[in-house]
Amino acid sequence: MTAPDGIALSGVCKTFTGRGRVVEALRDVNLTCPQGSFTAIIGPSGCGKSTAMRIAMGLEAPDAGEVRIAGKAPLDAARDGLTGIAFQDAALLPWRSVRRNVEVPLEVLRRPLSAASEHVAHLIDLVGLKGFENALPGELSGGMRQRVAIARALATHPRVLFMDEPFGALDQILRRQMNLELQRIWNESGSTALLVTHGIDEAVFLADRVVVMHAGPGRIVDIVEIPFERPRQPRLFSDPAFHETCDRIAGVLHGG
Amino acid sequence: MAGEARLPWSGLRNAAILLALWEIVGRLDLVAGGALPGITEILLRLWEDRADYPRHIWATLAASGAGFVIGNVIAIAAGVIFALSPTALRLFRGVNIAVFALPPIAIAPILVLTLSGMAPRIVLAALGVYFVTMTATVIGLSQADSRATDLIRAYGGSRRDALRLVLFRGALPSIMAGLRVAAPNAVLGAILAEFGGGGRWGLGAYLLGSLGRGEPDRLWGIGLVATLIAGLSYGAFALLSRRLVGATRAVTLNSAIPEAPAQTGSRAARVMLAAGAVGLPFLMWWAFIRLTGVPDLIAKTPLGVIDYLFFARTAEMAQARLLAALAETLPITLAGMLAGLGFAFALAIASKVFPRAIEAFMPVALITQTMPLVALTPLLVLILGRGPSLTLWVTISVTFFPAFVTLAQGIALVPRSAEELPRAYGAGRWREIGMVTIPASLPYLFAATRLTVPRALLGVMIAEWLATGKGLGNLLNQSRGYLDYGMIWTVASVSVILSVLFYQLVVIVERRVLRRMGMATAE
Repeated sequence: MTAPDGIALSGVCKTFTGRGRVVEALRDVNLTCPQGSFTAIIGPSGCGKSTAMRIAMGLEAPDAGEVRIAGKAPLDAARDGLTGIAFQDAALLPWRSVRRNVEVPLEVLRRPLSAASEHVAHLIDLVGLKGFENALPGELSGGMRQRVAIARALATHPRVLFMDEPFGALDQILRRQMNLELQRIWNESGSTALLVTHGIDEAVFLADRVVVMHAGPGRIVDIVEIPFERPRQPRLFSDPAFHETCDRIAGVLHGG
Repeated sequence: MAGEARLPWSGLRNAAILLALWEIVGRLDLVAGGALPGITEILLRLWEDRADYPRHIWATLAASGAGFVIGNVIAIAAGVIFALSPTALRLFRGVNIAVFALPPIAIAPILVLTLSGMAPRIVLAALGVYFVTMTATVIGLSQADSRATDLIRAYGGSRRDALRLVLFRGALPSIMAGLRVAAPNAVLGAILAEFGGGGRWGLGAYLLGSLGRGEPDRLWGIGLVATLIAGLSYGAFALLSRRLVGATRAVTLNSAIPEAPAQTGSRAARVMLAAGAVGLPFLMWWAFIRLTGVPDLIAKTPLGVIDYLFFARTAEMAQARLLAALAETLPITLAGMLAGLGFAFALAIASKVFPRAIEAFMPVALITQTMPLVALTPLLVLILGRGPSLTLWVTISVTFFPAFVTLAQGIALVPRSAEELPRAYGAGRWREIGMVTIPASLPYLFAATRLTVPRALLGVMIAEWLATGKGLGNLLNQSRGYLDYGMIWTVASVSVILSVLFYQLVVIVERRVLRRMGMATAE
């Protein structure tokens, strides 16, 4: 059941205590993402989807249950440079140029920067920021900052890619464009991807499987397989079968 | 833009008008019968005395420079340790507050009794910078962007990686602001030690030597030179920080809830820690006296002070003198502090509405407020006489500057997006300030209050020591003359303990208010 290069959460529980109230953020979450698959988690605000991802990244420890990333404990996988991370907010270091921001994971992992300079330049090109290598985040638009974050997530050649609403702050047009780009980039990298999102169409377009969560307590209520063949083309967005799938997921989200 | 090009001109024009007024008023002896000489008279006197200055300036610079470096190295190292280890911060809380709350004027005689040579001056300069820089380091490190720290951690980075890549650089604006305030503090500390410690060279010694002669022009000259040194040291760090942190202001609001420091350990362990925090300053006081090897007659340990105040033959008289002095000192300290804080808060808020006016006012504020107090007080004595208004003005001037800098810094940290939100809904300037700027600057108002508590006491004690002949400052000065070592140590420790208690009171109110508002303390 554990995928050697994938993501496996089994029986994960997590509660938070804040201001005297106990919030059950996750109850018995089981999720297995096979190697090379693309999984999207969707759910209302406060359903624990970001908490599940933070636990998978090793930023939070679960109260119960086990997490395996590429067969290792989350932080071990991180220390081996197997993971790539993009947050909802770009979380760029304001004093570093675009290139130096992309290099941050390499510095944390103590990899030689000179050997990666070509790769970094390629990534910046890939996300369409060629010519902005030396710009500071404050000089970029929101969409450009988010693309820097995507390039940064790919800097380590990750086997597992975590994305927490990476396009949440982008407009619909840019979002579609970035979805196409992400599919291509993910396809080339062959990594296992886990995406947390609010957008049903984004989830259906990108993922092999969409995991639907409900709040109070945070739990998985359904896992929907997405059958469309790859590479998926922009015209899929107007396909009746695509809308049918979206409607089905919306039904699960709102009904239960 | 025409407006921006005009600014330096209007600044120059204002300065020229001010100088011309000063000259006329001074030449005509309009202020307190010649207490304020004309600017040309002062400069002429400076030129006549030019042979005296280099050695005095050098002595002050050497002591304050050495103290500045030593104090800041310790302060930044301590700040890093405290930011990483809440336990260390709790344990050293008492020491930190005590160092912060020491009114230097009370410590100067003690240091001269226990140390020799340049050491008292360097120690006092270092003490003057330690708390400012240490606090700035802890604030800067703990306010770092938690998402960026998450990113480092998610890549398996250690705390050291986070410190290296995110925290330290992120803390730089705060640390630079700290150094900026610390630089004039070092000069002030050195002059205070010279003042209370004899010795031939140094601006403080020069000032002391010229005080009795009633030569306003020379006093003003020394005051100007001391101010120039303090102002230049401030300016140098202001320039440096502008170059270093210019374009790197955070562009989004960090909405992550700050992690509350975990209450680790059992109840017993927490009580032990609290007791340690209270006991450590007294332990260090005791160890300091044992290490310097000064005889018990001169250097009093904590037990020695208790003995002097409660059990010795003269205890009752000592108590009566102390209480009388306190009754004179405390009310005016409170009044001066509130006035200084209120002025600083109003001005910091106003800098949002009238940036031009404040920019024009800044140089004036800078000159008057970085002016080392000891140099300022004799000049104020000449103008204001020796009544309570002198004490009040000295106290206001000594509390205003640090409060203003802290508040201005806090207001500058308010995220652009938060400020623009009410504006986007059509809010006017004042409404925007009421909704965003004032609430967001509240943690800094409390930080400024904490910062000004001991300064207010220092201001009052200096005025009392030098001029009014009342209260704790006067008691300290008298005891020096009578070689009443017990009273010297008593006044010093009582003034520190009072400062600490008052500081703690502010902290308690601050915690209550900020917790209710869901804001973090600017520690």
